[in-house]
Amino acid sequence: MMIDAEQTILDQVRGVLARLFEIDPARIEPSSKLYEDLDIDSLDAIDLMIELKELTGRKVRPEQFKHVRTVGDVVTAVRKLVQDEDAA
Amino acid sequence: MDTTGLRSAARIDDRSPPGVALDRWWRVCATGFCFLSFGVGGTLLSFTMFPLLRLAAGSSTNARPLIRRALRASFRFFIGMMRMVGVLTYEVRNGDRLLAPGQLIVANHPTLLDIVFLLSLIPDATCVVKRGLWRNPFLRWPVAWAGYIPNSECESLVADSAATLRNGHSLVMFPEGSRTTPGQPMALKRGAAQVALASGAPVLPVTISCVPLSLTKTNPWYRVPSRPMHYTITAHPVLAATHCDRRLRAPVAARRLTRELAGLLAPESRPSSL
Repeated sequence: MMIDAEQTILDQVRGVLARLFEIDPARIEPSSKLYEDLDIDSLDAIDLMIELKELTGRKVRPEQFKHVRTVGDVVTAVRKLVQDEDAA
Repeated sequence: MDTTGLRSAARIDDRSPPGVALDRWWRVCATGFCFLSFGVGGTLLSFTMFPLLRLAAGSSTNARPLIRRALRASFRFFIGMMRMVGVLTYEVRNGDRLLAPGQLIVANHPTLLDIVFLLSLIPDATCVVKRGLWRNPFLRWPVAWAGYIPNSECESLVADSAATLRNGHSLVMFPEGSRTTPGQPMALKRGAAQVALASGAPVLPVTISCVPLSLTKTNPWYRVPSRPMHYTITAHPVLAATHCDRRLRAPVAARRLTRELAGLLAPESRPSSL
């Protein structure tokens, strides 16, 4: 169940990264580093957060993404975002 | 000073005629003299002309164009001096393109003197410079008074740069971030493209070539080339505003413009050294 949810989020994040930054989805793995492997800079990160906000319909605060380094970290952050809001 | 390097710089081939060795020695000394003058002259001006201009101008806004004009004259003088002593020659192609106000001038960055050349040619120009200069006791005041922009990895760099352009000043940026590493492919950061998109300013690509290549990141100043450096500074036509397509999202637009700039600024088949 959890695995499915993560897989779905990963697919969505992949879609967002491909659309926003013209990155080949095949290059996007959970272990891919945003900065080093996918060439996403600090300005891109802002666009990414705006996009994730639209995707999840949740409020996104920069501190929730402070420690995000890899695609897997993005997935975890998005899952937390959705869960926290559901719990609240 | 590294004297072994100095000796190897002037080391002569046994077969070369004495004139060649003498010419090389002369250029090692002349280059050293020019850089020394740059340091000493710059320091003197930082304590005399620049503070006087700053005081005379009253407000910091009024001071900026005066300080920039003084810097431009100083850089022009320095280039003239290097040419006079025989260290270099240069030519400027389509130099009139550099004169329009409010342009984002993007250039490749092969050598130490690139910014000196560009700031000597462009009126009322500002540039993005190393943040470290703000800690330099001699240079921090002139660069601050001239309204130069400290580099950083964050959004403030893009915002400050775009504001400068919108105020009608030209801005010089080296999208590579620092000098090209010889022998490696040119790698561009996206900052310049982001500034172009944020400001909507005309983008003027400039290519700089130096033959024989010298004063690079890996080549110390005293290792002078076999003959005087020849600089060619070419101003290309202003980019068509295709990058301002509002239907493109900012990150995609910045990537496309960066790729376009990479193609325009990549060195043509230039001889790397002779």
